[in-house]
Amino acid sequence: MTRDGISAVVFGAAALLMAGAALCVAGAGTAHAQANKALPALELKGDAAVRPWKRYPGWPQRDESKWSTLAKMSSPPAPKEPRKITAPIAGDAANGAKLVADRNRGGSCLACHVMGQAGNADQPGNVGPDLSEVGNAGLSDEQLFNFIYDARVYNAETVMPPWGSHGVFSDAEINDMVAFLKTLKKPAVFKVEVDNPDKRGTPVEKRDNLDAMENPGMWAIDKAQVLWKARGSTGFACSTCHAKPETQFKTWAASMPKWEPRLNKVLGVEEFITRHAKATTGANYLMETEENRDLSIYLHNLANGTPIKVDITSPAAKAAYERGQELANRKIGELNFACTDCHGKVANHWIRGQWLGAPKGQYDHFPTWRTSLQTVWDIRQRFQWCQVNIRADELPPDAKEYGDLELYLAAANEGQKLSVPGIRH
Amino acid sequence: MADKPRLKLPKEAKKGEVIEIKTLMPHIMESGQRKDKDGKVIPRKIINKFVCEFNGKPVFSANLEPAIAANPYFQFYAKVEESGTFKFSWTDDDGTVTTAEEKITVA
Repeated sequence: MTRDGISAVVFGAAALLMAGAALCVAGAGTAHAQANKALPALELKGDAAVRPWKRYPGWPQRDESKWSTLAKMSSPPAPKEPRKITAPIAGDAANGAKLVADRNRGGSCLACHVMGQAGNADQPGNVGPDLSEVGNAGLSDEQLFNFIYDARVYNAETVMPPWGSHGVFSDAEINDMVAFLKTLKKPAVFKVEVDNPDKRGTPVEKRDNLDAMENPGMWAIDKAQVLWKARGSTGFACSTCHAKPETQFKTWAASMPKWEPRLNKVLGVEEFITRHAKATTGANYLMETEENRDLSIYLHNLANGTPIKVDITSPAAKAAYERGQELANRKIGELNFACTDCHGKVANHWIRGQWLGAPKGQYDHFPTWRTSLQTVWDIRQRFQWCQVNIRADELPPDAKEYGDLELYLAAANEGQKLSVPGIRH
Repeated sequence: MADKPRLKLPKEAKKGEVIEIKTLMPHIMESGQRKDKDGKVIPRKIINKFVCEFNGKPVFSANLEPAIAANPYFQFYAKVEESGTFKFSWTDDDGTVTTAEEKITVA
């Protein structure tokens, strides 16, 4: 089928060149056909995303290289002992009141705590305890100081960032906050009921994510169907082998990601698209490019309704799953969060006005349309943003650590039915 | 490939029926009020006119202004007395006119 296309293209060119091109295509065709029977053809060389990876321009560009990431451990260990505070703390409570509500400094204490009238009690979160009456709790200055400086000295399981030992706040600033905490002696008064995180209703998504009128993510499907028929440099198109994608991919995406022994890593749908297209049609659909997202939405969409079920039976896949579990529990970044802190220990709470969901339900809708950003995010971009948000360096989208983490997340979502593209804030 | 407009209206209707028509045009609707990071104004680029015709006769039209959000969406009603074609057109500031059509059978 490709010979016609090739001879048309090289019409009038030197016969030698034409023979060369035809041979090349025939060679690729045979390899693909053979590979099809056992393993799908994949480009095994090179990266599946841009190198060097550069953070998205609109994202915070802070240098977080000193903190642990999913690929390295470099954050300092937790202190063993509380800092000794001998003299009474005499901080500036008014400055402390400003600091606890300052969104530019670690998201503000109000992100997780109700703190009386601090910040006008404007939509505080409820991840941590309500501190509105902490001034009556009889805590010493040393205890208050250390809870902020590094709460791990009192509770190894805490999800609170080590504000002092990670250098987000100076000792003097922590003193000011301690002085403010001591003034908190009355329950918070909320102007409106939704300001109270315990009364704020669980968010419900009512939009129809599969209606192209409501979800611009659906537009990717039209574009993907055009790409599907586009011939790459080899003369092949996706449609050459996959003429009936509706039946051929009815369940495939729900079985992804998958351990790939030839690459020694877990491949998700997006990296599979990059490597398979390169090996077959010759198209260069790097991860987190528009074409890759369009095709990923299309392939996921074809499997909509299929319950997620990933294969972790082989020893290598099981090991990848276990690594993914370890990564999900790893504390990373300046704010020292693990995935399982927000989406585990304190899931189903409010962090400021944002709802922290449980891991189940965080995978079945990706790639998803972000209404707040007017763009599609795939799961790897979502991972990247989570990391940048907690002040850790993100990894390139094709990083093997993300593969392990995605496998773990997909397994945690087993049985959830795919519904792609999703639509989220 | 540019995003194509989306239409939603019934394929069939009874004579004299009032039908609902929904249209959505993928467009950035750059207001001309924003500045880029160097402080330069990002030039205005919006859909400034939308027209719907049925068998060549006007049904609905609108002039759009810069405050209208991206991907302008219209929902309106029309009474149909005969079979025919709804024709929709969106005019961009740059002069580009995007059109779409949908047939309806009236029994």
